[in-house]
Amino acid sequence: MRARLKDQVPTFLVALLAGTFGVLLLHVTGMLAVAIAADSVTGDSDTVALMLPIVAWVFIVIAIYVSAVVTTNTVATVVAGRTRLIALLRLIGSSARAERGRIAREGLAVGFAGAAAGIVLGTAAAFGLQRVAVATGVMPDVAYQYANVSVLLPAIAVVLTTWLASWVGSRRVLRVRPIEAIGQSVESDREELVRRRGRNIAAVVLIVLGTGLLAVGIVVGLVRPEGVLIGLLGGILSFSGIVLAAHIVMPPVLRLVGRLFGRTPAARIAAENAVRNPERSSRMTIGLVIGVTLVTTFSVTMESYRAMIHAAIEAQPEVFAGVEGMLNVTIAIFAVLIGFSALIAAIGLVNTLSLSVLQRTRELGLLRALGFEARQLRGMIVAEAAALTIAATMTGLVLGFVYGWAGAQALLGGAQGQPVFILPGIPWAMIGILIVAAGLLTAIASIAPARRAMRVSPVVALAAD
Amino acid sequence: MTGASRFRSVEDMQIQPSDLGLIARVAALGKRYGSGAGQVTALDDVSLGLRRGEFTAIMGPSGSGKSTLMHIMAGLDTPSSGQVWLGDTEITSLPDSALTVLRRRRVGFIFQSFNLVPTLDVRGNVLLPFELDGRKPSLDERMWIEELYEVLGLKSRLGHRPHELSGGQQQRVAIARALATRPDLVFADEPTGNLDSRTGREVLGLLAGASAGYGQSIAMVTHDPIAASHADRILYLADGRIVRDAGRSTPEEIASFMLSMETAA
Repeated sequence: MRARLKDQVPTFLVALLAGTFGVLLLHVTGMLAVAIAADSVTGDSDTVALMLPIVAWVFIVIAIYVSAVVTTNTVATVVAGRTRLIALLRLIGSSARAERGRIAREGLAVGFAGAAAGIVLGTAAAFGLQRVAVATGVMPDVAYQYANVSVLLPAIAVVLTTWLASWVGSRRVLRVRPIEAIGQSVESDREELVRRRGRNIAAVVLIVLGTGLLAVGIVVGLVRPEGVLIGLLGGILSFSGIVLAAHIVMPPVLRLVGRLFGRTPAARIAAENAVRNPERSSRMTIGLVIGVTLVTTFSVTMESYRAMIHAAIEAQPEVFAGVEGMLNVTIAIFAVLIGFSALIAAIGLVNTLSLSVLQRTRELGLLRALGFEARQLRGMIVAEAAALTIAATMTGLVLGFVYGWAGAQALLGGAQGQPVFILPGIPWAMIGILIVAAGLLTAIASIAPARRAMRVSPVVALAAD
Repeated sequence: MTGASRFRSVEDMQIQPSDLGLIARVAALGKRYGSGAGQVTALDDVSLGLRRGEFTAIMGPSGSGKSTLMHIMAGLDTPSSGQVWLGDTEITSLPDSALTVLRRRRVGFIFQSFNLVPTLDVRGNVLLPFELDGRKPSLDERMWIEELYEVLGLKSRLGHRPHELSGGQQQRVAIARALATRPDLVFADEPTGNLDSRTGREVLGLLAGASAGYGQSIAMVTHDPIAASHADRILYLADGRIVRDAGRSTPEEIASFMLSMETAA
């Protein structure tokens, strides 16, 4: 039972983060709404009061979506590691449905625990933030009711998505055969690569349709600002298509990145490990791809926008005084809000890598027996983590750049009264932060598994279980 | 190997295993787990030598210490007392890095299951020991490996991954990998444990052939009398001690001796 609880720590962590994020964000928007209503100048405007929760929910939905993808992957990895146990229970007479139901129930319980902890943590964080804001004079001390029913909504959403993600992620339970409890010579955690024609067709349709709409949005944007809305729809559709087709898109990228590490045995095996389960590695990386794409899209659009504002400031300095500072604050806040999804995705990657290394103990023992030095095993794990992180970051950067430029073009192409080509702004600071973050992520993701790999004794490969 | 041409101190002036025609030797080997009243003795003062070019079977019931003995002889585990030589190298005092290089160059392994690296194809698995050593096989070695592919019937499977092969084919790949570097000694741990009896017999025939045809020294741990009957020499272990050292035997002789050990216990 203890091992089972340990399996669920990653899911708990993701649910906790998503829950905390949602609750905190709603509390903060609630406070802002109260503060705005109390202000004599802005108090009459309904637009701000209406817009704030909508914007907050966009970010909450993104965070919960990313956490659902991450949890689905974690659960699938946990199931792969429990194959023997599940097979044994099936052998004794348990049904596949009962076993899958058990895992889904675990997900429900963990989601509940994570969301409950998230309410507490998110409320505490909001309270702390308010105290700091009041103390530093950023915000007036308004009476805000923390007992706010609306903050339960993200918590409930987290519980439901964790449950659903556990159900989806436990699909493999149905394919575990009782015979797998009895010794066999092939490793048992190989996930079969099933061709899902329906999914592939849907992905292609979404990508084609989305790209088409994106192009239409850009053209319309040359004359009317509404073009950006068409482009947004196109972006959402085509990106959903890419996420659906992750199992086709990611493995080639992973292979390409894997080749960068050279031809030493450790690097080669690491590169192969990164794509050994195309389904699993796609799921592992796609969360991070989503996060990086969103951050990049936003930054590129804003950078292009900033370039235009700069031109305007030069032309009419008195009109645009003070705009620069506001723009910077806005960009920073939004970048943090989007970056949170990337953080959840990163945690998912760390956990899945840890679990999958844990499940490979015998293989590591075999490599040690054959003459791999402990040092080489460590290098192998680090290279594997790096391959996953770099592939996800690269894909996200490229996609984000395209979407960011398309967004800027559609938004600003006709803003100056005549159709112009908008040069994509390059957000150097954001790219720098992403590269540092990717390096950090690789290091963090590989510390624990690498240490465990170095401790593996070659004897475990010989032991017949 | 070491010290043959170098000056030997007085302490080292003793007969080397190779002088006796031995490929591996253990002296007064002991392995104990735990301490105090709960102490378990896995090996109790075991001394033996494996002769160069011979196919030796190490037999014994479960818990007799045969696997422990093999792990220690292969440098995978450390003894509580006693010494172990592989060739002329005393390995009990070697640090982990030296043992790793030793396993890479001078030892081959064939396991009961999970023999191959799942992400590498057949060729990648066979060449892995060379790659780990940071070198390409020499022309002579390449010819040897080609011959192994031929003899083991792997020619048409070189691009396959382990999961695309049957159990018997996987074990053939493991044999090719173990023999490719022409190691001093190949350790086989229940190599037929996961195979059906026909495939098992083929694998045993290949091992015996490698020993008789190429002079490969092989140590095989097993509790299967039929597997042991393919060996030139059979060592019987019981309760951590060598209880019998026999030559080539029929499965019936082996089985009846094993039975007598079980009933005596």
